[in-house]
Formats: sequence, C-alpha cells, structure tokens
Amino acid sequence: MGPLLVLWLAGCLSGTWAVDRGNFKTCDQSAFCKRQRALKPGQSPYRALLETLELTNTKLTLQLINDNNKVRLLLELYRLQGNMTRVKINELKPLKPRFEVPDVLINDPPTEPLSLLSRDENGVVLSLGADSQRLIVSAKPFRLDIMEGREVLLSLNSRGLLAFEHLRIRKDTCQEVMSLSLSHSKVDPEGTENKEETEAANEPAEGEEEAKEDEKVEDGMWEETFKSHTDSKPNGPSSISLDFSLPGVENVYGIPEHADSLKLKATDGGDPYRLFNLDVFQYEVFNPMALYGAIPVMLSHSAQRTMGIFWLNAAETWVDISSNTAGKTVFGQMLDYVQGSSETPQTDVRWISESGIIDVFIMLGPTPTDVFSQYASLTGTQAFPPLSALAYHQCRWNYNDQEDVAAVDQGFDDHDIPYDFIWLDIEHTDGKRYFTWDPHKFPQPKDMLQGLLDKRRKMVTIVDPHIKVDSSYKIHNEIRSKGFYVKSKDGGDYEGWCWPGNSGYPDFTNPEMRAWWASMFAYDQYEGSMENMYTWNDMNEPSVFNGPEVTMHKDALHGNWENRDLHNLYGLYVQRATAEGLIERSGGVERPFVLARAFFAGSQRYGAVWTGDNAAEWEHLKISIPMCLSLGLVGVSFCGADVGGFFKSPSTELLVRWYQTGAYQPFFRAHAHLDTPRREPWLFGPENTALIREAVRQRYALLPYWYQLFYHAHHSGQPVMRPLWVEYPQDTATFSMDDQFLLGRDLLVHPVTEEGARGVTAYLPGKGEVWFDVHTFQKHNGAQNLYIPVTISSIPVFQRGGSIISRKARVRRSSSCMEHDPYTLFVALSPKRFAQGELYIDDGHTFNFDKQKQFIHRRFSFANNALSSRNLAPGSQFTTFSWVEKIVILGASKPSKATLKTPDGKESQLEFEFDASMSVLTLRKPGVNAGLDWTVVLQ
Amino acid sequence: MFTNCSLGHCHIIVAVVLWSICVDSRKIRGISLSYKRFYRERKSFLCIDGSKMIPFDQVNDDYCDCMDGSDEPGTAACPTGRFYCTNLGYRSHYIPSSRVNDGICDCCDASDEYRSQTPCQNTCRNLGQRERAEVEGQTRVLGERLRLKQLLIEEGVLTWREKQAQLRDLQRVSDDLQTQLDDLRKEEARRKEEADALREREIGARETADNSPTSHYRPESPISVFKELDSNRDGSITVDEVQAKLSPVQDEEHALSEDEAVALLGGAHRVDLSRFEETLWTSLRTGDSVTIKGRRGVPGSLADEDPNIKAAVSAAEKASADLKRVEDAYETVYMEIRDLREKLSIDYGSEREFLFLHDQCFQLKVYEYIYELCPFSQVTQKSASGEVVSLGKWGSWAGPPENPYCQMRYESGEPCWQGPTRNTMVMLICGTETALRSVKEPSKCQYVMELQTPVSCQPALRQRGVHSEL
Repeated sequence: MGPLLVLWLAGCLSGTWAVDRGNFKTCDQSAFCKRQRALKPGQSPYRALLETLELTNTKLTLQLINDNNKVRLLLELYRLQGNMTRVKINELKPLKPRFEVPDVLINDPPTEPLSLLSRDENGVVLSLGADSQRLIVSAKPFRLDIMEGREVLLSLNSRGLLAFEHLRIRKDTCQEVMSLSLSHSKVDPEGTENKEETEAANEPAEGEEEAKEDEKVEDGMWEETFKSHTDSKPNGPSSISLDFSLPGVENVYGIPEHADSLKLKATDGGDPYRLFNLDVFQYEVFNPMALYGAIPVMLSHSAQRTMGIFWLNAAETWVDISSNTAGKTVFGQMLDYVQGSSETPQTDVRWISESGIIDVFIMLGPTPTDVFSQYASLTGTQAFPPLSALAYHQCRWNYNDQEDVAAVDQGFDDHDIPYDFIWLDIEHTDGKRYFTWDPHKFPQPKDMLQGLLDKRRKMVTIVDPHIKVDSSYKIHNEIRSKGFYVKSKDGGDYEGWCWPGNSGYPDFTNPEMRAWWASMFAYDQYEGSMENMYTWNDMNEPSVFNGPEVTMHKDALHGNWENRDLHNLYGLYVQRATAEGLIERSGGVERPFVLARAFFAGSQRYGAVWTGDNAAEWEHLKISIPMCLSLGLVGVSFCGADVGGFFKSPSTELLVRWYQTGAYQPFFRAHAHLDTPRREPWLFGPENTALIREAVRQRYALLPYWYQLFYHAHHSGQPVMRPLWVEYPQDTATFSMDDQFLLGRDLLVHPVTEEGARGVTAYLPGKGEVWFDVHTFQKHNGAQNLYIPVTISSIPVFQRGGSIISRKARVRRSSSCMEHDPYTLFVALSPKRFAQGELYIDDGHTFNFDKQKQFIHRRFSFANNALSSRNLAPGSQFTTFSWVEKIVILGASKPSKATLKTPDGKESQLEFEFDASMSVLTLRKPGVNAGLDWTVVLQ
Repeated sequence: MFTNCSLGHCHIIVAVVLWSICVDSRKIRGISLSYKRFYRERKSFLCIDGSKMIPFDQVNDDYCDCMDGSDEPGTAACPTGRFYCTNLGYRSHYIPSSRVNDGICDCCDASDEYRSQTPCQNTCRNLGQRERAEVEGQTRVLGERLRLKQLLIEEGVLTWREKQAQLRDLQRVSDDLQTQLDDLRKEEARRKEEADALREREIGARETADNSPTSHYRPESPISVFKELDSNRDGSITVDEVQAKLSPVQDEEHALSEDEAVALLGGAHRVDLSRFEETLWTSLRTGDSVTIKGRRGVPGSLADEDPNIKAAVSAAEKASADLKRVEDAYETVYMEIRDLREKLSIDYGSEREFLFLHDQCFQLKVYEYIYELCPFSQVTQKSASGEVVSLGKWGSWAGPPENPYCQMRYESGEPCWQGPTRNTMVMLICGTETALRSVKEPSKCQYVMELQTPVSCQPALRQRGVHSEL
C-alpha cells in the first residue's frame, strides 16, 4: 500500500465509518438549487405567444415570454413514434449556445405528425393520435396538459415552476445589472406588461432590455465557494427548472443512483434527490444523496397507467417530489376513501438542472412494457454481454501477484466451486499507470492469462480514467501531446489527485480522444493483454480526491463546454470508449465486457455497472435490491452489488446470505477492500464453503435462463430484474415492494436479508396463479403473503406456474466448460395446465448472433398435455451440440405413457418417473437436439 | 486458510501388473478396479447405494439415474459423480464428473476428454518418468535431509541436556545463595545493631560534653548534622532548609536550586533521619559536592574519632556490602533461572527437533523490505529507510491437530492503521538449508512466511517406496 493511499485514506477514514456528509453539498449549499427551490408554486410568469406558433410535419414551435423580464424562450413540441411526446425549451436567442446533450439518444427520434384540433386565444389543442390523446397548450399562463379522454395524464408547468435563467452579460457594478428571470414571483412594479404588448412578437431584442425590471444579483450566481473550492462561473446563472404534475399517481420510481427504497419518497422538508456523479466514500443507505451514476428518468405508476419522464440533461440535477398522499397514514388514506375525499391522489415532481436546456421525453406507456420499449427506442438497450460475464466473478483489492492469482484459481477447483472471471484491482499496475503491469508482481501476464485460458476462464483488469502525470509514461505523454486532456479554466491541462498521485483526465467527450483511447486496447498496444482479458473502469465520475465534492471542478473545460454542462456524461463516455476498444481489438467480432461505476442514460449500451463501494452490513445487502431494481427500470439491466460488501468484513452468515442473493442478481461479483481479511469462499470452514458452492452452482445451472433474459433485454429493452408491479401492474400490494423481485416474468426471488432469520414472508402475486418452490417443488397459490421458514441453506425462489425454464444441471468449472451440455426443462404448469417458455442459444461471445443471425431461439409450449418446441426465429441459423436431457413437469398428473415425436415422423416412448406427493413428472432423456422441433405427448 | 500442510503424497500405482484385469472392465469407463465388481455386466444394475435398479444399458448412457451417481462413472451426467483416471504409468486418481468432457485435460491419459473437441495427449508416461526421477532425487535428498534432521535433533538433545544441567547448576547456586543470604541478613542486622548501640552511647556522652563551653571540638554525627540542618526542629529536613544551610563546595556564595536540593534529598522534598543518612549525609560525607555554609571540610563521623565505633561501623558496612553482593548474585541467578525455564517450557516438537532454532534469526529481502524471523521470539520487517515494524511475537504452534508443528503463529505485532495488530503465520517446509524461503502479505498486515528446514522433513516418502513401471 503506497504512502499516497495511506494519506488519502487517513484523511477519509479518520474516525467513523459513515459518509462524511460535510464533503457533499445539500441543495442549500448548491447556489442554483437554493435559488430555484426558493421559488414556490404559483402563477407562472410565462405566456405562450400563440401568434408565433408554427406547425410543421415534424414539430410545433412556439415562443414563450417571461412577463417579468421579457426574455423569450422557444418551445418545441414533438410527437414521437411509439406514444411519446418531446418537449424542448431553450432561450429563443441565447447569448451563446446552451448545451444540448449529445450521444445519448441512439438517433434523432422519429416523429409523427401533430394535428391541430382547435385553437383560440387561450391556447391550442393538438391530437396525439391514438387513444383520443390530446396535448393542450394553454397560453396564459403557459402550461401543457396531456389528456386521454377526459383524464389528465400529466401536466407541465401547472404549478408555475418553469424557470429559465437566461444567459446574461456580467455587470460587476450595482447600477446596471440585468434581470434575473427567476424573480418572476415579484409583482411587476412598472406595468411593463403594456410595453411588452406594444412590442409584440417581432423585435424583442433591444428595447426590451431596458424594459426589464430591476435585477437581483444573488450570491453564487457568478461565483460559488464550497469548502475550499471556488467555482468561477464565467457564464453566470444558467439553471432551468420545470414541474410535472401526475394526477392519479401515488408511485414514482427511477432516477438512480440513490441508496434508497424502490418507491421514491416525497422530498418535502428534506433535500431533493440529487443526480450528480460523485465518488461518495462510505455511502449510507436510505437517503437522497447523489452517488456514482445518474439516470434522469422517472417512472410513474398507478393501477391504470405507467408513464415515464426522461429529463435529458447532464448537468447537476435535483428532483423534488411531493405527493398529496405521502404524508398520510394508511388510516388517513382509508378515511379519505370511506368519506369519499374529493382529493384524488397526485404526485408533483420538479426537476432542476444547473445548465443546458429543457429537453423532456414524456413516455406515455400505458403499460410498464410500453414504457421500457419507449425508453429503449430513445437510448438503446442493454448491451448483450458475453455469456461468461453472467457467471460468477471473483474480485479483491487486490490479488497480489501471479502466484496469488494461480492459488485462488486452484482454490476454486480444489473446492469445486465454479467461477469465470478473476479480477485485478489497481495494485496490479506499475505505479497506478493503467495499461501497465507491476514488473515484480506480474512479470509474465500472458503466462497468467494463458493459465486461465487453459481452464476456460477469464480476467478483468482495471483501467481508470485518471492518468498519472509522469513524463516517462507513454499514455500520459501521448494524451498530453495530442492535447486530449480536460483543460482547467485557465486553459492548461486540468490536474487532480487520484490513485497515482497527480493525474490528468482525458477528455472523453472528444471523439478523437475516444478513438485513440479505444486503440490503446489493441493487443499490441496493451502489452500483456489477451483475448480473455476484459476491462473495469472505476472512478469515472470522475473521482478527483482533491476536487470539490471529490470530483472535477465545474469550470474545467471539455473543448468549449464546461464540466458543469456535461458532468454526468463523463462516465458514460469512458465506458463507451473502453467498450469500443475491446470490440476493435477483436476486429469487431467479439462482444466486449466493461464494468463501470459512473453512468448516465444510455450507459446500458456499453456494459455493466455496480453499486460502488458498499459495506459489509445487512442494510447494504438489503439496499442492493432496490438499487438494482431502480436501474433496471431505466434501462440498465446489468447491475450488481459487491458480494460480501466492499468496506469492512462480513460475518460468515452475511457473506453466505450475500452469495445467495447475488446469485440471483444480474452482475454477480464478490469484492473486498484492501484492508479486509481474505474471504475467498473456502475460508470459512467446510459447511460455509458448501453453502457458497451451492449458491454459485444455482447461478450456473440457471445461466441459460439468465442468458435468454439478457437477450430479451438487449432485444426489447425489458429489464432482467423487475419489481413485482411491472408484471402485476394492477396489484397495489406490489407497488412499494422492494424486498423481493422477479427475474424476467417467471422467477420470484425473496432474499434473506435479516441476520439470524428463521423465516421470511414472501408475497406471491397473481390471483388464480400458482408458484412452485424451486428447491422443493412445493406448490403455492398466488395473491397471498406466505410465511416461509428458512434455514441457512438457501433463499426462497419460486417459479411461476405457466412458465418453462431451461437449466443446465451439469455445473462445471466455468460457464465455457458447460457450452455443449444438455438442458433440463422445468415446466411449471398453470392451474389450467398450460406453460410457455423460451430458450436462446448462440456462440456465447461474438456479434454473429446479430450480424449473421447465428442463434437459436425456441419457444416451448405446454398445452393439451403436449409439450412442444418450435422455432421463434426462422431466419436464424445456428447449430448446437446441446440436447434435452430431462424434462421436469411440476404440477403434473401421472400419464400412462409419454411419446416423443420428431419432425421426421419418428416416435419413441420416454421413460418417466412420477412423484405423486409433489405431482412432479420427470421425463427421462428425450435426447433431442435443443435446436430442433419436437413434441412430447402425454397420455 | 492454512490448515492443511502437505506431508507429501505419492501413490504411484503398479499399473501394468493389473493390465489384464483392466481390459475386461474397459467398457465401463471411469471406474477403478476396486469398483469393478459393482459393474459386472448383467441385465440390470443396482445403484451402489442400493437405492435403485436400472437396466444395465443405462450405465454410462449420459443420463443420471442413481442418486449417488454410480450409474454414470464415465460421463458428466451425475452432479455427485466421480471419474477414475487410470493414468497408466502415473498416479491414478478421481476427478469430479463435471470435469469429464469439459474441454480441459485433467487425466494425464486423456481418458476424461473422450468426446470433447479438445485434443488431449497422453502424458502419463512422461509425468511418471519425471516424477519417479524427481522422487528418486528427492529420496536421495531426503535421506540427506533426514540425516541433517537427526543431527539437529541430537544437537537439540544435547542442548536440552545442557540447558537442563545448567538449570540444575543454577538451582544449586541459587540454593547456596539463599542460605548465604539468610546468614548474611542476620549478620548484617547484628552488626548494625552493635554499631548503633555504640553510637547512641557516644552521642549521649557527647551531648553531655557539648554543654561544656570549653569544648572546642565537635565531632559530627548524622544525628547532630541532622539536628543542625533541621532549623525548625520538626524532625525532618526540607528543601528550604537545605537551600538555606548548604552551598556548593566550589562556590559558597552560590545558592542551591530547588532541583539540586531535591536531588540531594534523594528526590524527595522532605526527609527524616534515616532517609537523611541514606541521601544527603552521604553527599556531605564525601564532601565533593556540597558543604554546610560557613564550614570547611567534611563533616566527620563518630567513627573518625572512636576506634571502637569505627570498627563496629566498618564491620556493619562490610556486612551490608556482603549482603548486597550476595543479593545481586541471587537476583542474577534468579533471572537466569526464569529465562531458562521460560525457554525450556516452549514446545520444541515431539523430539525437541526445533530447539536448535532458538536464538537464531533468519532474514529475507523482498522488494524494498528485509524480513527477519527469530523463531520462538519475533518477526520484524525493516524498510529501506531503516524503520523496523514488529510483525508479531511468538504465539504458538498452529498446524492442524495431526501435524501441529508445520505452522507457527506470531501475533500481537504493531497495530495496523485502522485495523487489527499485525500477525505472521510461518509455514515450515522440508529443505536442506534452514532458511526463509518466502514472505507474503495475502491480506493487509497478515503475513505468511515459509521457513524451510530439514527438521520439517518427514520420512514418509521413503517408507512408502516407489514402484517402477514394468
């Protein structure tokens, strides 16, 4: 451990284990948030100038004017394909261009024509096409309402919190300063309203300025100091805000990343949820503080409808939520119901960002599935990972040297525990110079990688985006000479303190920089790398130990833009450039695998994320569920938490429970802090080794299902790990549930997250449905709370009656070793003796599934006592060695015979066993190839 | 983590002797000879656990029928199954069924990958030859090592005896000294009493004489000087009184500081007569540091004048000095005995074979650090800058119950920042030289060292013997 690290840790760790809240801003300490939040709901000063309305094939444009300061805004409305509405608001004539977020949308979203239904002096009514949906633009005060029939789905600026701090010229003296648009709540003292009318719409520029009311310069508009850091604000105030009202909505979700419950809480009386990518040391659970990533997407849900709001802005953002039912007790809500309270539930949301423009996508659902598709159509879907990335990952800060790696690798074999990836943290490098190896500890990286390859295993090395300032370091020299570093406000290379000491930060927003970075992953550039070596981007918020809030100064420059404008986007670019590098090094053949800590909307296209530096505490195990569920709702399916907890040392029970939970979460990686004792799975006695082995084996057996879910996520944007309400949208009991979750539609997982638990109460949804315990095959009815006694041996997992899940029962050393193994189908019958499922197979690691349609996609259906497999993708072609080994039918009755029929007309009888006590029918060795058509008929 | 110490395994099979039998059972892949009887070709097969009867053609048909996996010894079908690598020419062993046809060559005879695309070579012959050569080499080396071990054990026995004898000698000396001490204590008390009595008498006489104005000479006793200095007659001398009445020999004008006065009083601020005699009186009598103001010379003593008293006092002083000397000797012997006992109480192995490590230290340089192991004492780490950090003090043997002497634990070293104290586990391995072989830090502040020594060699290999291929 280097002296730098000691110093830094000493600073950070001193005293307690809790987050040092003083290092991070509250809304009150963030000048724009404070200014904006001081603004209370009321009549909006904005007015739509209907005479400026222009309607084209693709959009409607309209000017808005702030009656207090006469600054005009330009509103653009788009009806997008797939039942979405885009609302864009920018200054009509900004002093200089305001930042519009690039590279997040996968394309210019295709539009559909808006048609004008009616128009008068109060506003216009536009048709949104389907379902009698209309968009109403009210002129004075300006507001937007989206209606379906007579129902308001969503309103914008209904609380009058639209606020647009226009760019202005700094006037340092007091006599001649410009207006602050925010001061609109003031009554206009000089009747400028009349003046404005005479000016009409044409020439708002010159005369208007004088007409503006007296300015108000507040602290923090042109400079802001937090702790010892001063943020120069050469562009002055530039924040934006808009409110959204959601009548009939009591539940909102999303806007990760926060260590908080799945259902978002009202923020009245506290801080808003903050979205600002930060390296928060030892974060605490259950609060709205910003964390490593930010996805400005919120979902609203009621039994009637699911919608989404995507606030496309990469600056520091705060989200306030209030609800007219939030404060009420259950009894109070009952009382309202009994007494027929006139008040319908409503949730009000307000978004505040420091700079940029208002660019909002309103996803109108109406189902959760629709919202996921809509969002996927904007920002893309989850990258389809190599199959092995869905297996188990063994990480630690740090595996010390090649010998250590070999010993851990051997340990897994000695204890017969499968694993696919072993990870190397920062200590593997030569002095924290990424793309290099410590010459003493890792003198022969290729030998090491070959050793892993021989066992069909892989490695991940860390490559962080801070680059040691060291003139003998090739990477640094090249970045410096090409001018690829982020610049400080004075124009020199921005430097900050991170693991290597003084570091530069490459400007990943620059496409040339990204192309160069990607080229560094070529096998001949990254010395010692091989095709079974993948990448981990940590610290990509970016983390700057000595920067404000442990990140980059907001006035640092990425080309012409300040970090302020695009801060939350930096991490996405880092992961993107790295993923592109891994693709390029294989000539575009191989799928990449890159894990990142910071992320933004669209990051799902580039790999996996994890919940950062958690702690070995039960609370952190618990919070891993809502944290990954929230990410899944907004596109990022490949999510996981450090198994065991990063900081501190877990009790054996916690470690076992964490493995059992992690085995059923998408990204399954154990990780540990440098200061903690070793915790490889076999270090806690044979009994615990066996428990962990069993948890990991359950994961490996289920990999075919995981792979199919990820293919589905990649294909359609549906989350892999889902809150129950996504599949049971009308079941209000599920709306705030985040101690259990679904994988796809068909597996329900209820992790044990209490110390010493003897039992858990799981909720099995679905009236008239049944669920089968996957361990015992015991059948349970849906729509009930079920108390399940638990032992340390496993956590409750249920398969939905009506589903078919494929497993590979032959768990081997690594997922690659299982490639050609046969499948066991678990057919869980619904009460109507029906079931359906899918199987997806490809080579597991290349893009050939996409480019050459080399995959198998099967649909299994059980109906009328016959189970059949048919092709879901007739255009595809792939052959597999895998065959169907066994079929287990849950909830079956005993047949007299089971006949296998294949397309060549052959029929054969299958042996079977029937367990009458559990109604389980096991068909012995159908033996058919998994890629072919077949039918089994039970008589 | 470190509970298993290898004792060195070797089961080289006399493979070819059994060749003819193997041929018969070749159809049943993956079983060893001893299991062959379960797989006699009949119409049906009974799972070895007796749980189920299946048709014989379902043995090794790549479908798991038996709970115990016994129907699929040659395939990967059963999760609990195992596959027997016959490994002709090398060591036969079992592998988990999950390693059959997984694309990784596990058996050196390539028998586990009969259906995978991975081409595996039969390397058993080479491995066997190499191992036999190695084993032969090792056997030779081992012989040498065991001889060294025997020497060290013998050395240990001698040392042990020596130490025991030393202990006995010391014990005897200690007993002698104890007797002497008893006598000397009595003698000293008697002498002192005598001298005191004489003095008392003389003082009584002098005090009478003092009243005579003609007395021109006044021999001084501790008591008289004490009385002179004790201005306020409270029976004790204080710092103030010392400062008032005494001055340095060299400079009578100079006053004594409080610290100097306190020092003269033996570190106290106030002394009574007996403490005075032990402290200030001694200083006054030597006369080279302080003197009573206005007076020349060293205060005399009664002994200076009266030969009887002089003789008595010197006898008392001698007795006291004798006592002191013997007390010191006793103390030294006592400490030696304690150290020796402590040393002898350590467990040096069943044959005290590790005794020779005591009082030795071993060093190893790893990158910028020098590690030092002093067995049964401590482990340290010295950085390039010279800073020495304790990685633990001798704790205990820590091997598994069947072989406790293969690991040593050193604990309670310097505390780690924000963590527990450093500790070190020393793994003892067989080698010719006694030396530190490696040092690692698998978790922070937890060190693992390998100490090789012939003493850790076990004769196992030689006893088991090596079979050669026929």
